[in-house]
Amino acid sequence: MADLKALEHPTLKVPYELLNKRFRAAQKTIDREVSKTQIAIDDLDRCLQSSTVTVGQMKTALDGVVEKLTFLKRKSEESIQEETDAAYVCKKRIEHLKEYEVSHPTQEAQWKKKRLDRMLVEYFLRCGYYRTSLQLAEHSEIQDLTNIDLFLMSKEIEESLERHETTACLQWCHDNKSKLRKMKSTLEYNLRQQEFIELVRQDQRLEAVGHARKYFTLTEESQLSVVQRVMGLLAFPKDTSLEPYKSLLDENRWHSLVEQFRYENFKLYQLSNTSVFGISLQAGLSALKTPHCYKSDGSGKNTDCPVCSKHLNELAKDLPYAHCAQSRLICNITGQPLNEYNPPMMLPNGHVYGANALVKQAENNEGVIVCPRTREIFKIDDAEKVFVM
Amino acid sequence: MEAIEAVDREINKVLNKFENFKSQRTQTLQDLIQCLEKTRTELSDAPDEDELAPSHSLIMSQTCLNIKDTLNQIAFEHKELHGNVSKVGKAIDRNFVSDFGGIMQDMMSNDKNMDKINQVICEHFLRHGMLDIAEEMIQETGLQIDETIKEPFLELHRILEALKHKDLQPALIWANENRIRLQAKNSCLEFKLHRLKFIDLIKQGHSHQLMALIYARNFAQFAHTHCKEVQSLMGSLLFVHQGLENSPYSYLLDPYLWEDIADIFTRDACALLGLSVESPLSICVKAGCSALPPLLNIKQVMIKRQCSNVWSSKDELPVEIDLGPDLRYHSTFACPILRQQSTDTNPPMRLTCGHVISRDALNKLANGNKFKCPYCPVEQSVSDAKQIYF
Repeated sequence: MADLKALEHPTLKVPYELLNKRFRAAQKTIDREVSKTQIAIDDLDRCLQSSTVTVGQMKTALDGVVEKLTFLKRKSEESIQEETDAAYVCKKRIEHLKEYEVSHPTQEAQWKKKRLDRMLVEYFLRCGYYRTSLQLAEHSEIQDLTNIDLFLMSKEIEESLERHETTACLQWCHDNKSKLRKMKSTLEYNLRQQEFIELVRQDQRLEAVGHARKYFTLTEESQLSVVQRVMGLLAFPKDTSLEPYKSLLDENRWHSLVEQFRYENFKLYQLSNTSVFGISLQAGLSALKTPHCYKSDGSGKNTDCPVCSKHLNELAKDLPYAHCAQSRLICNITGQPLNEYNPPMMLPNGHVYGANALVKQAENNEGVIVCPRTREIFKIDDAEKVFVM
Repeated sequence: MEAIEAVDREINKVLNKFENFKSQRTQTLQDLIQCLEKTRTELSDAPDEDELAPSHSLIMSQTCLNIKDTLNQIAFEHKELHGNVSKVGKAIDRNFVSDFGGIMQDMMSNDKNMDKINQVICEHFLRHGMLDIAEEMIQETGLQIDETIKEPFLELHRILEALKHKDLQPALIWANENRIRLQAKNSCLEFKLHRLKFIDLIKQGHSHQLMALIYARNFAQFAHTHCKEVQSLMGSLLFVHQGLENSPYSYLLDPYLWEDIADIFTRDACALLGLSVESPLSICVKAGCSALPPLLNIKQVMIKRQCSNVWSSKDELPVEIDLGPDLRYHSTFACPILRQQSTDTNPPMRLTCGHVISRDALNKLANGNKFKCPYCPVEQSVSDAKQIYF
């Protein structure tokens, strides 16, 4: 219902973007093959228009056209197949989301468990823990419902960048040229800069100049100062300690390239920077957080409450508390709510428990009750009623 | 739900159109190819140097024009499909929320926090018996997990697996080892385990009835606590011959008892180990999934009314979120007068008449040391009010 709307946008948007991409590729292929075939037909036509035409010429021309047509047919079939596959991925995910509405309680619990696994897979992929995410996806059989393929492809590129190789990334930039240009991406430009720096590092300064001539001529106004600084690197030895040239030679620039690639890859598929898992976890912690979980003497802790558990307690420290406009009381002994069927009773030491729990204790113990939190002993008659509005 | 229906409709349209395009146009292209090949075979009889007959020429030119037209049409039709494809994207954007910005400060960018989150996730895996995934995760993330933390989960999982296969032995051993602590918690686990074993023996009929009798000696220790139940179990021995299904004791064969025992075992074991019954990660994410829609709604409202600065107070969430009675682990008290949650520094106070207000409210309403309860006009002094602990 409402949580589907809030959480499942990435689930559907990513296969849609893939479908879009394949559609554009298919359109390009079809246009290209159609124009090639039309050139062959024009050849045939020219043959026919000339005054004398032999059967032999006819035959070759015909062969040419048939060949191009067959090729066009094959290519268009392949492209349409790819598009249909992408559309089917979308459909499958929609079917999975539909299951949420029509489920019984046990099926709903299963669906929610799958949802948690989906979120965890996405979280792992974003952090770069690829093996774990693959295993988890296999275990829960959710491979089709997660974007593993997309991230695995980006993993390869990231690894190549870590190895200081720019070819794979440049290929990716080329493949997604139009969209990156729309996003005003500087990735390709930064890659070229890094190549320049590497050439300087290897003391191949002449090649570096050639490289700069090739790729830096289209610099925009805003980038001019950056380029000037990079060019200035030519004048310094590779182990210079002068800023800013030292930081240009820094190996960490590759890390920022990796991050930039990751960020732009997400943007391409309309993924936001925070994972759905992160935001759900935070919202949940906040919604469950009460002052009891953070009492200075630790007396309020409940082992079942997630926020009271060790790590989540530390994590939630800086998060806002849950807003409480109405009193909702539960009995410390049984966990049952305190209301008109189980009215709250105060013992002489100020601790409050549900009447049912106290009466039960008193029955088994000849009217004597022990406060579970302080171990003091009282008589059931000493308990006084408490009225909470 | 209409959001999904909307996207579903669009995607179905796209799939239909693609299928149609593919089947029709592949056929068209196939026809064209065949037609040309036919002409080709016709020509292959004649020798190469011969001139082409004018009739042939005419037909060929006509065919060429046809083919060109068809090809253009194909390309055009495909382009038209883009309209449907982009409608899918629009439907998705319209019906689903894509932007979470501004709801919470990002906790994930902090490295220390990442480490803690990974620890919690790892424990979640251990708890659910996904041990190899947990191992892989520890390796990939470089987490430091104490072996002592893993141990109880591994044992728990082992015993639960055995129970799933109706093998009571590991559970019985565990219950035996922890008997004293279980009894301190008033647990009936051991009794129920023995009962299930006994019923199992009885089910196997006449041949095992002696074994069942001997096994029943185990019930001696439960004579005080479960007197009535032991008596009825003994009564079931009468029906070994005709089988329990046809006796008043058929309820003992209910498969629900097996699910129940797994549940009881999990609860008692977790209580003994000081762990929560369900994984804290699952509960948290479940709460988060329920909490996000109202938070997103209020963010929308705030943007519309241009009062987003109200959310800057990081102390409490801006809206109350009811997670349901299952996810209530603590008492929350809101002072009825000041409408604020009680805290360590502002605890609830019980007045002599029994009504409860917060200490701040008490101080505000008091006139020196005299005070009149706002709900019932009982006069009392401020010092008579007692701090209470929920």
